[in-house]
Amino acid sequence: MRAFWPIYKRELFAFFVTPLAWVLITVFLLVQGMHFFLLVDHFAGAQQQSDQTPLQAFFGNTVLLYLVLFLLIPPMTMRLFAEERRSGSIEGLMTAPVSSSAVVLAKFAGAFTTYIAMWAPTALYLVILRQTGEIDWQAAASAFLGVALVGSGYLAVGLLMSSITKSQFLALVLTAMVILALFILGIGEFITPEGTTMHAVCSHVSIWAHMNDFASGVIDSRRLVFYGSLTVGSLFTTVRAVDAWRWG
Amino acid sequence: MISVQNLVKRYGPKLAVDDLSFEVDRGEVVGFLGPNGAGKSTTLRVIAGFLGATSGTVKVAGHDIATDSFAARTKLGYMPEIVPLYPEMRVAEYLRFRADLKRVPGNARREAVWNAMGKANVRDVANVVIGNLSKGYKQRVGLADALVADPPLLVLDEPTAGLDPNQIREVRDVIRALGKEHTVLLSTHILSEVEASCSRAIVIAGGKLVMAGTMAELARRRRSAGLRIVVRGDLAAAKSALAIEGIKKLEARAEDDVHVLTASWAKKLDEPQMAAAMEAAVAALVAAGLAVREATRVKGSLEDLFAELTTVPEEAAS
Repeated sequence: MRAFWPIYKRELFAFFVTPLAWVLITVFLLVQGMHFFLLVDHFAGAQQQSDQTPLQAFFGNTVLLYLVLFLLIPPMTMRLFAEERRSGSIEGLMTAPVSSSAVVLAKFAGAFTTYIAMWAPTALYLVILRQTGEIDWQAAASAFLGVALVGSGYLAVGLLMSSITKSQFLALVLTAMVILALFILGIGEFITPEGTTMHAVCSHVSIWAHMNDFASGVIDSRRLVFYGSLTVGSLFTTVRAVDAWRWG
Repeated sequence: MISVQNLVKRYGPKLAVDDLSFEVDRGEVVGFLGPNGAGKSTTLRVIAGFLGATSGTVKVAGHDIATDSFAARTKLGYMPEIVPLYPEMRVAEYLRFRADLKRVPGNARREAVWNAMGKANVRDVANVVIGNLSKGYKQRVGLADALVADPPLLVLDEPTAGLDPNQIREVRDVIRALGKEHTVLLSTHILSEVEASCSRAIVIAGGKLVMAGTMAELARRRRSAGLRIVVRGDLAAAKSALAIEGIKKLEARAEDDVHVLTASWAKKLDEPQMAAAMEAAVAALVAAGLAVREATRVKGSLEDLFAELTTVPEEAAS
């Protein structure tokens, strides 16, 4: 694990020295800013009292959040292993005294830090909203927790996809497909009859339901377990995949 | 320093390294020689801990690379065939990262990087972004990377591949200088490269060991390809005198009545056969009434030796 810090620092360096992170953050903030503006504008002009807060709507009630994650997570993770294997720099990395798990964790932590940095400026929305009304700080905190959990799960999946192929493009497509599949399964919650196994599965993986809960301040342990196991399971499989092409 | 015992590496059904055993002792500069595809890179990757062996044991500085991989890797500086660098980093930044990764303590890191850049002769590009470097510089940054933790053992995979003749000479000088402090194992498919910088050579072909020995032993293996004789007298008489068994081709160059004859042996001869053939040729010339001024063996080229050594397995197999 001694190798975690140098690799983590280099990963951040790779994100922030190349234009990649800045482009992603800029695009992300532009889209989120638009999203936020439209919501606030809608709430300001609303005729009757809504049972929702703008914050709840921002994090939980529209499709925009997932769309943005669907478009931004795959390009963040696609290069992590695939690029190093294609260019051969993985050979230098792996012949240094480092363990596979240190490499995997450092790469994940680098991507996750970048993801958090991407979201961090949205905390300013709270400051803006506070000018005009009360804010449920607990709900806000739980919404950001949800965002972090969803991100960590998706990033771990992306890292896994990047470790099983040398092609960045393939890693991108595979990651996007998994995220899309989880989302589509989530839609199944609304069309499958209640009480069936399929309905239970669909509602369990539905990011929509998850974020609705988090945005209204409900921290459900099932959600924690779901994203926790998605993250840990993917990272563990990634370590195994790295060991497989290393020692196999 | 390196001990390879019965190493086998398979890629699926393809056998890349077939029961290879050799040793490299402390302080040696050993050339690891073979044609492309002989299994050189695979063997070096196994030694460096990048690939697992299918069977056999490899020890680096007494540490088994399968069971004690960490300790083995700290003793070893490896420069892969395709020098893997992060193009977005500056040379010094990259080397600092590598030093950190190789557990050079923080307070010694700056100095370690500076020394490695000095040895590999890249101090002048310390602040250049790696992506903008020429191939020769990248190669030497790779070398600095291998050196940065000051490991006792250096494993270099084709360190001069793709360089121009001046750069090759520079890298060879660097390697020769490194040989004073480090044990070096370097692979190449150019025999003259080994001759220029190594004390010993290990030759493999088709994944098997063909020969291991010092440069002197290798030189002894360079067979005589023929004979060069300087005679005074009648050329036609000399030519007919040399029309004896064993001599295949005869070329003559004349300076007045002094002729330089270059003959090549009809078949491969071992040492006693060659001596006998030489004596017979000189005797025949003297008997024909010519004055023999000089008679020397013509050494086979290094390329001939290389071809001869590395095509043996196929002959043996057929």
